[in-house]
Amino acid sequence: MTTRTPSRPAPAALPATSRSAGRAVTGAAVRQVRRGTAVVAAVCGGLTALVVVQYRGLDGAVGIGSLTALAENPAIRTLFGPPVALDDPGGFTVWRTGTVLAVLVGTWAALTATRLTRGEEEAGRWDLLLAGRLRLRSLVARTLVVVLAAAAVTGAAAGLGLLLAGAAGPGAAVFGGVLAGTGTVGAALGVLAAQLLPDRRSASGLAVAVLLGGLLARMVADGVPALGWLAWLTPFGLLGRAAPFATDRPAPLLVLALLAAVPAVLAVVLAGGRDLGGSRVAGRDRRTAHSRLLTSLPGLALHRTRRALGTWAAGLMAYFLLIGLLATAMTDFLRANPFFARLAAQAGFAQLGSVEGYVSALYALLAVPVGVFAAGRIAATAADEAAGRLALLYSLPVGRSRWAATEAATVAAASVVLAGAGGLATWIGTSWVGAGLGLGDALAGALGVLPVALLCLGAALAALGWAPAAVLPIGVLPAAGGYVLLVLGDTFGWPGAVRWFSPFAHLNAVPAEPVDVAGGLGMLAVAGVLALAGCLRYARRDLLG
Amino acid sequence: MAVPSPSAPAVRTEGLGKRFGPTEAVVDLSLTVPPGEVFGFLGPNGAGKSTTIRLLLGLLRPTTGSAWVFDAPAGEVARAHRRLAYVPADVSLWPSLTGRECLDLLAGVGPGTDLAYRDQLLERFALDPDRRARTYSSGNRQKVALVAAFATRAPLLVLDEPTSGLDPLMEREFRACIAEAAERGQTVFLSSHQLAEVELACSRVGIIREGRLVEVTGLAELRRLRRAEVVADLSTPAPELQRLAALPGVSDLRWPTPVRLELSLTGPPGPVLRALADADVAHLEMREPSLEEIFLDYYGQGPA
Ligand SMILES: Nc1ncnc2c1ncn2[C@@H]1O[C@H](COP(=O)(O)OP(=O)(O)O)[C@@H](O)[C@H]1O
Ligand SMILES: [Mg+2]
Repeated sequence: MTTRTPSRPAPAALPATSRSAGRAVTGAAVRQVRRGTAVVAAVCGGLTALVVVQYRGLDGAVGIGSLTALAENPAIRTLFGPPVALDDPGGFTVWRTGTVLAVLVGTWAALTATRLTRGEEEAGRWDLLLAGRLRLRSLVARTLVVVLAAAAVTGAAAGLGLLLAGAAGPGAAVFGGVLAGTGTVGAALGVLAAQLLPDRRSASGLAVAVLLGGLLARMVADGVPALGWLAWLTPFGLLGRAAPFATDRPAPLLVLALLAAVPAVLAVVLAGGRDLGGSRVAGRDRRTAHSRLLTSLPGLALHRTRRALGTWAAGLMAYFLLIGLLATAMTDFLRANPFFARLAAQAGFAQLGSVEGYVSALYALLAVPVGVFAAGRIAATAADEAAGRLALLYSLPVGRSRWAATEAATVAAASVVLAGAGGLATWIGTSWVGAGLGLGDALAGALGVLPVALLCLGAALAALGWAPAAVLPIGVLPAAGGYVLLVLGDTFGWPGAVRWFSPFAHLNAVPAEPVDVAGGLGMLAVAGVLALAGCLRYARRDLLG
Repeated sequence: MAVPSPSAPAVRTEGLGKRFGPTEAVVDLSLTVPPGEVFGFLGPNGAGKSTTIRLLLGLLRPTTGSAWVFDAPAGEVARAHRRLAYVPADVSLWPSLTGRECLDLLAGVGPGTDLAYRDQLLERFALDPDRRARTYSSGNRQKVALVAAFATRAPLLVLDEPTSGLDPLMEREFRACIAEAAERGQTVFLSSHQLAEVELACSRVGIIREGRLVEVTGLAELRRLRRAEVVADLSTPAPELQRLAALPGVSDLRWPTPVRLELSLTGPPGPVLRALADADVAHLEMREPSLEEIFLDYYGQGPA
């Protein structure tokens, strides 16, 4: 086993028959997913309904000629997916929120799946269940079914939100189906990765990487006509192919079901042939070379951060390289179609017509993954605590605030590296197509989003002190919540008092505009206060685990 | 800070209490362990041993009272933990690190480790340090923590049920290490739920039950707690065995059937065995009762 013996009894006492044992397992899994499902379903339903309602307020004056131009522009297609049915409230909503919601639902489903399978196994809670009559394969299968169902519920919620807001029925059904399908693909990938890899963290990483690799594949498919077929291999591409509110095609939904079924079946098959606690790709169990980092606190912090940093940096660099490569296509298009420049400005993308404006708009997106990375590292610390892995460390002369501060400093430095890597990749891309963006400008813009990411770090540390079970959701709130708040506020003209609460309202569009020094310093100050208060509280509360 | 005086107690608690919601895990616990002593902290499961130890290490905040380690308040870990080493009840390690990496980390961050002694301990506990922690059984994880703790030569060793995952051979090695530590003058605070274990290793024992320290005794008094449950099945009824009740150390003689007798025995078993030798005994069983059963007998239903 990887961790210690279970600190809590398994959710269900050992029942007499495998039938009732199975039901107990299903019941326990349902209890573990219901809260997250409710939250994600509320976001999906609420956001789609809100956008439909607000779109009506725009009194859409989108002409058919502009529409065609938009649909044909490779940059638009690459970044946001093929825009179809923008003249329809539902169609506009799908284009505006579809990719974001698909990423949310798919990632959440994948993480939930690895948590319920490899996470429970790692914590030793499956030992007790399997001491009864249940076999590993049926345990995995039952958990998989629960997560698949949870993912389907969130898709249904999005469809319901569209319907209730008055969008057309078939379109709402197709969009709901695509979201549900994306969630089930994520869930199936999560369970599959949990059979392949020996620990939850790497299983989560693999599942999310494959899923988001699909997003990149979709971007390539929509940008390069010769590779258009790639879209059929990823949920994000199938969203465009299904074209909700335009053609409402059912075939992509069937392909999506197949994309989920293959990893799901594979996962159950692989579960049948392995031992509890074992994995298909085990890695080496023995290693004589040992890391030299592991002799000091900063070394340990670095050791814990570097692999995650490498993975995130690789993903972000691939994405921003693509952003850079698209720069000229996008700016040329927006200069030629002032109507869309206005529409983009309304959606919070001002000055998309210049390369500086274009990259600065996309750098705002960079704040979200960097913030999620930072919050995720602190969440890993909280998970280590809950699993009892910090007890030995804290029996040394190591104050808890000292360790938290060491980790926070390492994560802050890693965030700088991550943002810098995004800027560098953008610069490489823009230089390739000769868009004329300076390296200094590219880096300044990317590093400019750091106050938002550090706000996430501060919020995560505060959560570590006061709500250690909710470090990740609280930590990502400033970036993810703030981004959604600002985009909605800009699109629908919400009052400035509402916008003020979004950290993005205090960022200028660097490099198109000068850095908002006061805003940046203000956010850093808030982040610092949150971090300090969190560390102090962390040192004073009871240690879990 | 000033070096603590040599006579400062290794462990001192005053009115220490911890409440988890409605559960009173530890109540008004006052205890002093002088330096150099091997102190047993004996109590059944759920008595509050681990909670007391976690309070002593500053991992938990007390609801009432305070604790000191060599006169350093338990909450000031940077000071208090310079002079102790800890083995948790349930050792969990980072799964991807090897045993050696865990040991190096503890040695590198801790206040000092005797590396030569550590290699010797690895050998003695037959631990392969080049395996990743995820492949270790709970006993092996416990060995990693034990090796790290003994190798520090810290003046105070705090060990929370450290033998729960060890096999008998390793338990013997563990007791040898405790004896060596005692010889070097280290203080040992050893929690256990096994009477036999503390009897073998400790010179003084504190008994905790339902969160309260009910007694602190020497080994001699502890021995009176010790008893065996004897069950004998006879081939033919033997009424003369009724005289067993009069033998020294025998109490609670029962006859569930005419051919089965049960009794509780404290002290040496010689007289009882001699008496049984004359009868036609088909099957004899001697069982050591659990700590909870012993305590129930000795201290009655509720805490003293
Ligand atoms: N973190 C906790 N939350 C709630 N109750 C706890 C917690 N830790 C221990 N307890 C309770 O406190 C009591 C003492 O537990 P513990 O100190 O672990 O006992 P021991 O180590 O002697 O077996 C038990 O009733 C246990 O259930
Ligand atoms: Mg305990």
